[in-house]
Amino acid sequence: MKNSISLKSLLPAFYFAIGIAIVGGIWELIAHLTKNEIPNPSMTWITFKEVIQQPMQDDPDIKGIGTKLLSSLKRVGIGFGIGSLIAIPLGIIMGSSKTIMAILNPIVQILRPVSPLAWFPLGLAMFKDSPAASVFMIFICSLWPTMINTSFGVSAIPQDHKNVGKAFGFSKWKYFIKIMLPYSLPHILTGLRLSIGIAWMVIVAGEMLSGGIGLGYFVWEEGFNGGSVAKIIVAIIIIGLVGLILDKIFMQLQKKFSYAA
Amino acid sequence: MNTAILTEEIVKTAAETVPIFNTNKVEQPTKTSIDIKNITVSFKTPQGIYTAVKDISLTVKKGEIVSLIGHSGCGKSTLMGTISGMVKPSNGSVMVNHTLVTKPGTDRGIVFQNYSLLPWFSVYKNIYEVVDAAIKNKTSKEKKELVEKNLKMVNLWEHKDKLPGQLSGGMKQRVAIARAFAINPSILLLDEPFGALDALTKSTMHVELLKLWNLDNREKTIIMVTHDIEEAIFLSDRVVVMNNGPAATIKEIVDIPLTRPRNKKDIIHDPAYMLIHDKLLNLLIDKFSIDDIPSL
Repeated sequence: MKNSISLKSLLPAFYFAIGIAIVGGIWELIAHLTKNEIPNPSMTWITFKEVIQQPMQDDPDIKGIGTKLLSSLKRVGIGFGIGSLIAIPLGIIMGSSKTIMAILNPIVQILRPVSPLAWFPLGLAMFKDSPAASVFMIFICSLWPTMINTSFGVSAIPQDHKNVGKAFGFSKWKYFIKIMLPYSLPHILTGLRLSIGIAWMVIVAGEMLSGGIGLGYFVWEEGFNGGSVAKIIVAIIIIGLVGLILDKIFMQLQKKFSYAA
Repeated sequence: MNTAILTEEIVKTAAETVPIFNTNKVEQPTKTSIDIKNITVSFKTPQGIYTAVKDISLTVKKGEIVSLIGHSGCGKSTLMGTISGMVKPSNGSVMVNHTLVTKPGTDRGIVFQNYSLLPWFSVYKNIYEVVDAAIKNKTSKEKKELVEKNLKMVNLWEHKDKLPGQLSGGMKQRVAIARAFAINPSILLLDEPFGALDALTKSTMHVELLKLWNLDNREKTIIMVTHDIEEAIFLSDRVVVMNNGPAATIKEIVDIPLTRPRNKKDIIHDPAYMLIHDKLLNLLIDKFSIDDIPSL
């Protein structure tokens, strides 16, 4: 009995191993077919070990991969942070007023599908500084999902909850803190989770355009221009893992603040 | 006796003509708790104007328990809404404690049909937040004592840290009742409070509700919406039977002269109970056996 339970808990790891084996197999095959133009897993592993040596090195011309990663994360953090600070209040206002929703929603709907990269040149024109332009781009693309989800959450507060506030004489502030925010928090967190996902995707592209220090620039400069496909693959894996961690963090927050009705 | 009625009349007239002097703070010699006058409620719908209730008048004395009974959609909840202030009448007026109802107020405690507890707060917090919002002139220590007293009254003190999602339907409804009692309203409005509970839990809750009402010296006026005849008889002093909507009116008001405290087990053998039960059945239901259903 005990045995079967521990076996069951190992199952996800087992499936993960199968998945990795399949991807590894296909990768090995592609490497073979391209005559190692695309390096095989073991060659990539060697490059990976090289890349992660002295990760925090921060010399004027040699930057460790960790330093680059932090630099990218910092840009995402600033852009996402400012974006969220604007998107959440705007979303709340949109959700609580049908008129403001009617005014803002069409604009949001037009701007939301625009590729974040299209904002880059605009940022560049505004700030005359390419790292600032990529932060601007992150800022813009962090707005929409948070705004839309927040406004949805606020506008979907059930009449039952509103009635509690009305019947028991809640002040506007108390209603906001004790009913509106707790109800919409899971929606806000969903918006933030979507936003951080997009922001992380976009920073790589942004840094390819802007240069400077960061994972995106690493992919472009050291990987493609430096002629090391292995470095590109290493960067892709690192970007993927960091993205996964960011997503998990927001997933945990969502879990923490969701409630059973 | 005569003078009492006379004073009541005078005060009533005064209340109607000089509403400015008529606040809750003034001690009223009369015992009228709720005075509904010619209420009509209409809603605008895409299909046109829908009138839910029409020209309803009803006076309820302080400490009285009155049930509103009728078929689904007969406007009982709408009528209740005009008393709570959640529904604005298109015509007519509702006076509560001699004050015109224009919006919800904490002199009326509401127990909602589907409990309406806030799912992110513990049982304790659900009551505390409401007490904190509704009662201005008490310290936070006094408010905490109020919450404790009311939770103990419904035997939920040991469950105070649970979230509503962890409670059974009966327990949720007890929290909702404790919440309404905690703000010490002079009127309790119960909107199908036991509708979602199983028959056994429901029976217990009836007795518990009457116990709370008794503990409070039977001073609270209770209006309850229900479609359960036994429930209405066991709890009420009067049962207001409503016609089917749209434009529902009062069909008949049935007095329940059974003595209190009432006993669930004994009451059903009381001939008076059986008479009232029959009367209400006849008022509400027109099919009693398969012979009453016309064959196709």
